[in-house]
Amino acid sequence: MRRAPLLAAALALLLAGCAPTARSSTLFAMDTVMELTVYGPQERLDEAAELIHDAEGLLSVTAEGSDIALLNSAGKGEVHGETAALLERALEICALTDGALDITVYPLVRAWGFTTGEYRIPEDGEIEKLLEGVDYASVRLEDGAVALPRGALLDLGAVAKGWTADLIAEGWRDAGVKSGLINLGGNVMAVGSKPNGGDWVVGIRDPFSDGLVGAVSVRDAAVVTSGGYQRYFEEDGVRYCHIIDPQTGRPADSGLASVTVTGAEGVLCDGLSTAVYVMGLDAAAELWRENAGFELALVTDGGEIYITEGLEDVFTPMDGYENTEIQVIRRG
Amino acid sequence: MAKTGTWVIVILVILALSVAASVYLYVPRSAGGRVAKIYVDGELVRSIDLSAVTESERFTVEAGGGVNVILVEPGRIRVESADCPDLVCVRRGWLSDSPAPIVCLPHSLVIELDPGGGIDAEVG
Repeated sequence: MRRAPLLAAALALLLAGCAPTARSSTLFAMDTVMELTVYGPQERLDEAAELIHDAEGLLSVTAEGSDIALLNSAGKGEVHGETAALLERALEICALTDGALDITVYPLVRAWGFTTGEYRIPEDGEIEKLLEGVDYASVRLEDGAVALPRGALLDLGAVAKGWTADLIAEGWRDAGVKSGLINLGGNVMAVGSKPNGGDWVVGIRDPFSDGLVGAVSVRDAAVVTSGGYQRYFEEDGVRYCHIIDPQTGRPADSGLASVTVTGAEGVLCDGLSTAVYVMGLDAAAELWRENAGFELALVTDGGEIYITEGLEDVFTPMDGYENTEIQVIRRG
Repeated sequence: MAKTGTWVIVILVILALSVAASVYLYVPRSAGGRVAKIYVDGELVRSIDLSAVTESERFTVEAGGGVNVILVEPGRIRVESADCPDLVCVRRGWLSDSPAPIVCLPHSLVIELDPGGGIDAEVG
C-alpha cells in the first residue's frame, strides 16, 4: 500500500517525459480540404475547427449573413472586430503591393465565371466598366464601420486562409503547443518544430505536372503557393487562369507559373502569393528587396526556379528539378 | 553435356530478364509502400497499401448522401464514377504518384497518399 504513491509519482514522471501523441483531423471549409495535426490534446483540434467555421461565417463572400456578404449588398455597414482587423491588414498588403493585390477585384472574378465555374470571356467594354469599381484605396474603414466605393465588391478570399492559420497558430502557441501543422487547402502554417526537433518539410507542387518542384524546411512559418495552374479554363487554345490582374481586369499573365511565399505571418504570405503572381519576377524581386518578413520561391513559365537568398539553405529541388540551376535573388 | 549447360543458362537468363521486365512494367516505380487513405467528412474510412494491390478492385463509398465508386489497381486508385453534381473527382483521374489529393467536395470525400519521402505537407 505504501508503494502506491511512489508508483503513481514514477508513472507521472514517465508520462510527463513522453512527447504528446499526434492528433489530426480533416475538415471541409472555405471551399477546400483542411488538415490539422497537433501534438497536444483533442481540445486544440476542436478549437481550431471552431475558429475555421467562425472565420468562414464572417468572411465568406457567398454565405448569406456573413460580414462580407452584408457589406457587398448594402455598400456599407458595421462589421465584427475580427473582420475589421483582417480588412485593415488586407488593405495594408494591397498598398504594400501597389494594388497587385486588390480586395475589390471580385466583380471581375465573377464576370470571368470563376465564382460559379460557368467560364466566359467578358467583352472589353464590360471589363472597362467593371474596372471603374476596382480600387482598394477607396474602401473606408473606421472603428468597425466600412464604406465601399460605388460598384465595388469586397472579397477577402486571397487572405482569409492565411489569416485563419495565424489565429489557429496563435491559439496553439498560447496553449503551449510546441509542434503542429496547419494545412488549410495548401495554405500551410508550421507551429514550432517537428516533435523530434527537426524542421517541418513542405513540398511545393510542380505547376507543370504531378510531383514536386522542391521542398522548403521551416519552423514557426507559413508557406503559401499561388499559381494559375490551380484553376483555369481554356478557350480556342488560350488558357485563362483564376487570378485576375486588378490593373487589366484580365487573367494575370506575368511569366510566373507558381509563386511560393514563406514567412512568420500567414496573412502576409497568403496575400503576397497572389500579388507576386500578378506582378511577375522583376517587380517581385524589387518588392522583396524593399521589405522584410518574407522569402520567395518562384517558378517561371519556362520552368526556371528563382529563390530569394533567405531560402538558399532551406530549399531543396526535387522530382526532376535536381539539375535545374537555381537562381538566387540577393539584396545587394 | 556442355551444350545442355549452355541452354540451361540461356533459359535462366531469359527467365530472369522477363521477371525483371514484368516487375518493371507492372509495379509503378513511385508506388513503393505508398498508402492511399480515403476520408469521408474527415473520418478515415479505408486505408489501402497501393503497393500491395495485385488485382483490380472496385468498391463503393457512401458519402454526403451520395455514392462514389472507387477503382483500385496495382499502384493506383481513382474515383471511377459518382453521383455528385460536378464530377470533379472522376475527372481528376488516377491518384498514383501525384501528391494532390482526389477531392469530391459535394460528398466531403478525400483520397490522398500518405506523403512519403519526408514531406510533411504540400502547397500549390
